[in-house]
Amino acid sequence: MPVVELAGVTKAYEQKIAVRDLSMTIEAGQMFGLLGPNGAGKTSSIRMMMGITLPDSGAVRLFDQPFTRQSLERVGYLPEERGLYKKMLVLDQLVFFGELHGLSRGEAQRRATQWAERLEIADSLSKKTEELSKGMQQKIQFIGTLLHDPGLIVMDEPFSGLDPVNAALMEKTLLDLKEEGRAILFSTHRMDQVEKLCDTICLVNNGEAVLSGRMREIKSRYERNRVIVEFEGSDAFLQSAEIAEARKFPGHAEIRLKPHGDAQKLLLDAASQARIYRFELVEPSLEEIFIQTVGGKANA
Amino acid sequence: MRNIFLIARREYLEQVRKRAFLLSTILVPLFLGGLVFASVWTGKNLNMSKHIVLATNDAQLASQLQAQLTKDKTSKSTYDILTPVHEADRAALIAQIRNKEIDGFLWITNEPGQTMSAAYESANSGDMITSQILGESLNHVLVRQRLTASGIAAEQADSLLKNIRVETVQVNKEGKESKSSVLTSFFKGYLMAILLMMTTMMYGMNVARSIIQEKTSRIYEVILSIAKPGHVLAGKLIGAGAVGLTQIGIWLVVASGAVGGGVLSAQMSGALNIHLSWVEAVTFPAYFVLGYVLNAALFAGLAATCETEQELQMYAPITTVPVALSFVLLMPVMSNPNSALAIGASLFPMTAPVIMMFRIGSAVPPAWQFAASISLMLLSIWLILLVSTKLYRVGILMYGKRATLPELVRWLRTS
Repeated sequence: MPVVELAGVTKAYEQKIAVRDLSMTIEAGQMFGLLGPNGAGKTSSIRMMMGITLPDSGAVRLFDQPFTRQSLERVGYLPEERGLYKKMLVLDQLVFFGELHGLSRGEAQRRATQWAERLEIADSLSKKTEELSKGMQQKIQFIGTLLHDPGLIVMDEPFSGLDPVNAALMEKTLLDLKEEGRAILFSTHRMDQVEKLCDTICLVNNGEAVLSGRMREIKSRYERNRVIVEFEGSDAFLQSAEIAEARKFPGHAEIRLKPHGDAQKLLLDAASQARIYRFELVEPSLEEIFIQTVGGKANA
Repeated sequence: MRNIFLIARREYLEQVRKRAFLLSTILVPLFLGGLVFASVWTGKNLNMSKHIVLATNDAQLASQLQAQLTKDKTSKSTYDILTPVHEADRAALIAQIRNKEIDGFLWITNEPGQTMSAAYESANSGDMITSQILGESLNHVLVRQRLTASGIAAEQADSLLKNIRVETVQVNKEGKESKSSVLTSFFKGYLMAILLMMTTMMYGMNVARSIIQEKTSRIYEVILSIAKPGHVLAGKLIGAGAVGLTQIGIWLVVASGAVGGGVLSAQMSGALNIHLSWVEAVTFPAYFVLGYVLNAALFAGLAATCETEQELQMYAPITTVPVALSFVLLMPVMSNPNSALAIGASLFPMTAPVIMMFRIGSAVPPAWQFAASISLMLLSIWLILLVSTKLYRVGILMYGKRATLPELVRWLRTS
């Protein structure tokens, strides 16, 4: 059953078309990455999904039903523009969010405490929000999104402002939630995070989907034309006719082959001139795929 | 409805728990009480302990004037007589003022064949109260002298000069009479106007600020994904609005305990003549709350279009219009409480609370007028909220720029 379905959705603001004829489907148990540079239309798409704005055309379906506010009760949303009531106690704040989502006061309190322990911030529950660091506030916000046990979790740039330790903790939590069968939509301009976490992606640029599908499938569509060589000795092989572009670092080089460039020939060249410790033909990163796909058209 | 309640409760508790709420609850009455006390104290003490010399060649006039001036037992001033007087004495009296031996002197010239004249000289030319008391007393004594000179007995002259108080009696539809006064009717309307103005000034901005807080704290998108914009706005309005009513409630309870006794004794002695009929007891709180909510809703609507508190300040004068308008209309309505203007003003939602209270004070308007004015107020609150919600919903997502008038119209049409 598709949890989210956008069918030919378009949204225009005064002088700009934010989203143009966008279609995508997110299934339960899927970690879906909505990717694109700043201003590509990610947040506009999410806002339509959350009923904050209405699409000019096209349809939004949640949990296999046409969009209603009722269905939002099963959605946990962490927007990019987020904030908390600064003067409120953290626990009161979480209970407030829980109650708004239909939980009883007692239940909201129980779940807030449970989640705070899981995310290692139980000590902060009795503090005022303004006393917490930005990263801690982010975790509180994260808990607020999950208290009511949503079937769909929508997170717009969830890791911005987090240190690596806390980012890893959140990543693990999201993966656990995915394992539990929840659909997770995760929007970011950080391609490396999506590459690590998502199994399905939709890449948007200038309001249009330029690439979408399962990550493996997308990557397999692209030629393996990137080589990493760790070596000692002469770097003269970097001048090889097979190479389109080479970046040299101390002890290693990153190479992009010409279309139909022969890696085997390059390896022979290199081995004849230097001692080779590693020669790896790697698949293109999402970032490279993105650059290849949109070329110079990105807004970033 | 549950979400409105939750948002209102959060808003209310947050504001009531603030130190500012506690401080203003205690400090405002202390400040106002201090102000009233200070003005009463200075009024009592500044004018009443003066040392004044009555200087004239007419010894009889001087002693009668002294008797008239000292009739007021509450007065602490002393009046000495200097008679007969010469021009040199005037210079001596001026020297005495300069040396602060006396506060002033009344120089009365009453030579046969000359027009009588009197001058009060003191160090403070702005002392209008003393010169008024002296003038009134002198005239009283002179009229009495003239009456007795024309053969009227002294007692008769006194009774002729006695002041008469005109009482106002209000006759209702059943022909029943009750004591009333234009002044107390006016007072009731005035009290409503003052209360509404105070609450709007003090708390209207609070309501608006709490709505803008959602934008500045960037929490709006989280909340709007859970609750409808209309519910958020209504919750904020009720929560922040209730804070104002709570504070006024606390003040009223404390004030009624403190001054209740005084007012009651004044009422019983007849010095104060306030009748609060059951109609007034019901309608006063009802109109007050409705008026307050209407003004607060207006603030909420304005806040929905603003990004920051600074922008909101620019709109602040607009919100004083309803109360200012009520003040302007109070005088013409006072002279004819049943005129078309009065009826119109008591139906117009912005002026209804003040004008209605005034009209009830002078003559209870027919029931349909109450029903109509209350319905119109409720309708306008609903309309304002409806428009505000639309503005809020779209305005909140226009983050980063202030809306122009054409944009506002377009938002209303498209949202």
